[in-house]
Amino acid sequence: MEQLAGCHVGAMLIAFDIRLENGMKRILLTLAALAVLSVAPANAALQVDVTQGNAQPLPIAIPDFIGDAQTGANVAGVVRADLERSGLFRPLDQKGFVERITDINKVPTFSSWRSITAQGLVTGQVALQPDGRLRVDFRLWDIFGESQMLGLQFFTTPENWRRIAHMVSDAIYERITGEKGYFDTRIVFISESGPATKRVKRLAIMDEDGANPIFLTNGSYMVLTPRFNPTAQMIAYMSYIGTKPRVYLFDIETGKQEMLGNFPNMTFSPRFSPDGNRVAMTLESAGNSDIYVMDLRNRAIQRLTSDPGIDTAPSWSPDGKQIAFESDRGGGQQVYVMNVDGSNQRRISFGPGRNGTPVWSPRGDLIAFTKQQGSIFSIGVMRTDGSGERMLTSGYHDEGPTWAPNGRVLMFTREASNSRGSQIVSVDVTGRNERKVLTPGSASDPAWSPLIQ
Amino acid sequence: MAFATGRTGVSTARGPRSGVALSAVFHGLVFAAAFLTFQRNFTAPEDTHIVPVDLVTIADKTDIAAQAPPAPEPEKVIDKPPPALEPPPLPEMIEVAPAPEVEMPKFDIAKEKPPPTRREMQQDFNALLNKLTTPDKPVQTAKAGPRVIPGIGTGNLMTADIADALKSQIYRCWSPPTGAPDARDLIVDFDLSLNPDGTVGRLQMTPGTTAAAAGNGYTRAASEAASRAVYQCQPYRLPADRYAQWREINPLRFDPRQMMGQ
Repeated sequence: MEQLAGCHVGAMLIAFDIRLENGMKRILLTLAALAVLSVAPANAALQVDVTQGNAQPLPIAIPDFIGDAQTGANVAGVVRADLERSGLFRPLDQKGFVERITDINKVPTFSSWRSITAQGLVTGQVALQPDGRLRVDFRLWDIFGESQMLGLQFFTTPENWRRIAHMVSDAIYERITGEKGYFDTRIVFISESGPATKRVKRLAIMDEDGANPIFLTNGSYMVLTPRFNPTAQMIAYMSYIGTKPRVYLFDIETGKQEMLGNFPNMTFSPRFSPDGNRVAMTLESAGNSDIYVMDLRNRAIQRLTSDPGIDTAPSWSPDGKQIAFESDRGGGQQVYVMNVDGSNQRRISFGPGRNGTPVWSPRGDLIAFTKQQGSIFSIGVMRTDGSGERMLTSGYHDEGPTWAPNGRVLMFTREASNSRGSQIVSVDVTGRNERKVLTPGSASDPAWSPLIQ
Repeated sequence: MAFATGRTGVSTARGPRSGVALSAVFHGLVFAAAFLTFQRNFTAPEDTHIVPVDLVTIADKTDIAAQAPPAPEPEKVIDKPPPALEPPPLPEMIEVAPAPEVEMPKFDIAKEKPPPTRREMQQDFNALLNKLTTPDKPVQTAKAGPRVIPGIGTGNLMTADIADALKSQIYRCWSPPTGAPDARDLIVDFDLSLNPDGTVGRLQMTPGTTAAAAGNGYTRAASEAASRAVYQCQPYRLPADRYAQWREINPLRFDPRQMMGQ
């Protein structure tokens, strides 16, 4: 811009001096013009491109919320744990805090928080209302910017404080990362107990942080591949009740269980459409497995694939227009994508090894999958056209990814080589921050719920 | 800018030539005519360089610093009756009240730095003058074109070392938005003024980045992360005798593309 200004001046002066008769003057003025030109960049700012960074969690101070001491400490503790677990935040040790928060409606002394290297500060308070409800307020402060970034207030029944804490975490996470949080969510999974020869597999559910685990089935029959519907109120899964594996629906509120359709042969690998009205699943018939969609409203069935290979593991795109699936029609298993009416079936995975169990990201940008190469199973992601394949994990046997509702984190089943049972592991979509998910005993087949509504 | 150009032009005219008075008069005329004739040309670039400043938020901000609390919140409490849930304890349910957000674009305001003292300004001006007077013979060098004064200007050899020095100090603090969708496109630009002691004088997003951040949460997050990096890694150690070269950095660009290789 400065240069531009300089050019204007220069051009102008030259134009002007042409009209002067005196040659001497003309030269002088031309020189002056050039001098102006040459001087113009003196104001030009230095340009700097920072192209390398140093990914590190954000240091954030979250003192215990004031008000009721016990609840305040509990809520802040859950928020700290949530944010820490994400790998994107580093909650600072309260012992180092210089300023003591006594009133969250007062602007904190930013310099005292800067002095302990905090870049964010969360102040909050909990208060029991006359009507018996719990009120939780919090404010998120930008320490460098010296401003409030967010202030929210929640009401709930007192025993519900954990969920409020997760919602606080979600709000902070979203404000800092620009991405919806995923802490106020739940995980369904298969809890495994008993000796390897006589494993009892029960459907279980827990909060995203491992709290409040509950068994939904009693273990008298085997349950596999649970999937949430979009409201997180219903779970579809495959179960061996009787002799054949079939897809069932389980209503979390009522505990009611229902077989989905009455087919002569086995049905498996169910997945709800994003609007929750349909379920895609695999039907087996005369040794051939194909993908069908059932409309839950009228139970109408539509067949989407019909080739002689095994087509299974359907997963909807978030806009409901496409379905990714796994097929061995070309030899080994690979990931395919088709339109929701079954048209335009095309292979998208061309990386080495076999690629299966595709799961479309809720964000829509990626498809997670399991890769088998030799005896190694690992979790990877690719773009929805199959490009940009990246492996996120490498374990002895990692399988069955499920996305957090924000499309930023994945969970999957990891089996160790010593057959000590399986566990659930989470990993960031960048491949960083791999963590074991707390479960009661061995666990597998996790499915991440949408954000609870 | 236009003003500065005028000023520097005048001081050049005061150069070591004979007929100073005459020359000055003519130059004065020339500039006067230029200003009158080409006012638009003068003002236009300046306009494009002005970052729209939201006076309201500045006022809010100042208030906050001065007095205390952003008023407590609740505007509307969304009360949902608790859906009674049986088997698993799906929570009793929650009402969320978005409290009034005291939300302000953060980096518009000079922080922790009083307006430049008279002495600082003098230093700036002297630095400028030095630059102007060092090449005592602009006459010959002028033929080479506009960028003739060594050590000044955007990204030439003389400033490359400073840019590198700054980069190497900032990057340690920059946590790029690696997990965001299309993270490689989250490029954010700032206009940074540094104080002579290497601390941040003023940091603000360029108009383009401001607009992008207003419409996209990821860009906003990226710009905030970058700005935290700038503040966190200050003060910057740069050659004091070349302050004029690093006093203003624009654009200071954070570009994650190289880091998103695949």
